[in-house]
Amino acid sequence: MDNISIDIKHIAKLARLKIDDSELPRYESEMRDIIGMVNSMPDIEDSLIVDPNNAMELREDKLADDKLSRDVMLSNAPKVVAGCVVVPKVVD
Amino acid sequence: MLGRGEISSEELVKSQYERIEEVEPKVDAYLTLDRDNAIARAIEIDKLRAGKEKLPALAGIPVGVKDNISTKGIRTTCASKMLENYVPVFNATVVEKLKENGAVITGKLNMDEFAMGSSTENSYFKKTKNPFNVSCVPGGSSGGSAAAVSACEAVVALGSDTGGSIRQPASLCGVVGLKPTYGSVSRYGLVAFASSLDQIGSFGRCVKDVALLQDVIQGYDKMDATSANRSYASLYENLNSNISGLKIGIPKEYFGEGIKAEVKEAVMRSVNELERQGAIVKEISLPSTGNALSAYYIIACAEASSNLARFDGVKYGYRCENPQSLMDMYERTRSEGFGREVKRRIILGTFVLSSGYFDAYYKKAKLMQQRISAEFDSAYNDVDVIITPTSPFEAFRFGDKIDDPIAMYSADICTVTVNIAGLPAVSIPCGYSDVGLPYGLQIIGRRFDEQTILNTALAHEQCFGEFKSCKL
Repeated sequence: MDNISIDIKHIAKLARLKIDDSELPRYESEMRDIIGMVNSMPDIEDSLIVDPNNAMELREDKLADDKLSRDVMLSNAPKVVAGCVVVPKVVD
Repeated sequence: MLGRGEISSEELVKSQYERIEEVEPKVDAYLTLDRDNAIARAIEIDKLRAGKEKLPALAGIPVGVKDNISTKGIRTTCASKMLENYVPVFNATVVEKLKENGAVITGKLNMDEFAMGSSTENSYFKKTKNPFNVSCVPGGSSGGSAAAVSACEAVVALGSDTGGSIRQPASLCGVVGLKPTYGSVSRYGLVAFASSLDQIGSFGRCVKDVALLQDVIQGYDKMDATSANRSYASLYENLNSNISGLKIGIPKEYFGEGIKAEVKEAVMRSVNELERQGAIVKEISLPSTGNALSAYYIIACAEASSNLARFDGVKYGYRCENPQSLMDMYERTRSEGFGREVKRRIILGTFVLSSGYFDAYYKKAKLMQQRISAEFDSAYNDVDVIITPTSPFEAFRFGDKIDDPIAMYSADICTVTVNIAGLPAVSIPCGYSDVGLPYGLQIIGRRFDEQTILNTALAHEQCFGEFKSCKL
């Protein structure tokens, strides 16, 4: 993984970020440095073990007894119409 | 004084706000103050006291809360433009517990945006200053919490710690900071950064205050799937400074290159004193320590890239102006709403999880995490606690590291292993530089053995004295 080149524009697209062309050289340089740092980790011949003492208890898959009303839940939404969040049109 | 009736809760809370008004222009620890509600709450507590009712543990005590912990009706920003106007509709479990125990929440404290940083310079809103020298950073990411407690702008405060974000600022601001065992404090209502590492914890000016606050916030919570369902004894009531026979491990890897000589000397002075008090000191080795920072940044950024996907301008938070399409809205909302460090970490996290790189980075980091945990487990066969420096250096000046991510990340070199292994650790002051900036040492314990590390911290505190305030 030495000298790896990272396509910042492609990765940013996957992350739903827009990086200006003028910022690309700085991001590329910083990411090269960070990847250089993490590449120093040695390979480990082992397999991942799930700790039986720390198994997560998953909640039941049922409707929670939640007392928050729809209006309250939507109180922080940027745009709401008729109790629904509004986003730009997705189908023509 | 509260208990003896020499001062009322109302007087205490009002005097707390007077102190905030006096020093806040220099320190900038708070993002939001909640004065009216705090005073109303204090008056309620005074009525309970007058009625001779048995009062809960934190009755009338002013507590500051880091701004990534959800407070119903009080703006919770994560120090980000993304959540600049976000007002939660529910309380985090820890906030509910504070309220049940009579605490008075003074306000919300500054931090690095989404808890990403080691200096609080990444806050969208302002830079918090170190009370010991306002030209220096308070550390991070819980810099506001540490600075507020250090400057006496809160009696105690809550922070969160993903890679050192309680302990490192505690060290730089000369206060006590406890990162509890993973699973011992509910994270319900903590805005997630890296869910397998995040933990809420406490700041105080002395060990007893931190023990008392931890007693209040610890415990099982069904709302957090990672919460440990076990019993929790009172740390405060069981504090004991007798450390005779305590076995202290000193890992040589934490005293090597990159750690300032004066820091090492200060830590070893403290260790020698603990030995004089009856502890048994032995050198140990944690061989994978040098790889911890790399493993940490891979795991933390991978989880962050997933956790922060929720900020898309749809249900809450910032939305860009006049989006032309759904994709345009996602991209511009996130690009305009997140700061530079957050974007850098999202990009790194997306990269290490992307097709073709998962095994080379994320899986390797998880294997390293397993190895680091196993090395700690092995070390605890021989010792009861492990002592290291908290930060490799004292507080640094604003701007010194902000443009060099690797240099900034190195501030966490002594603390990330604790999160990787899910252990408890406390940072306590252990001396001052020649210009009066605090040094801190870290006491790391076995999982769920907060008692032993706090007992050790108390023994140290009784020898070297409690918090030394600074001139502001």
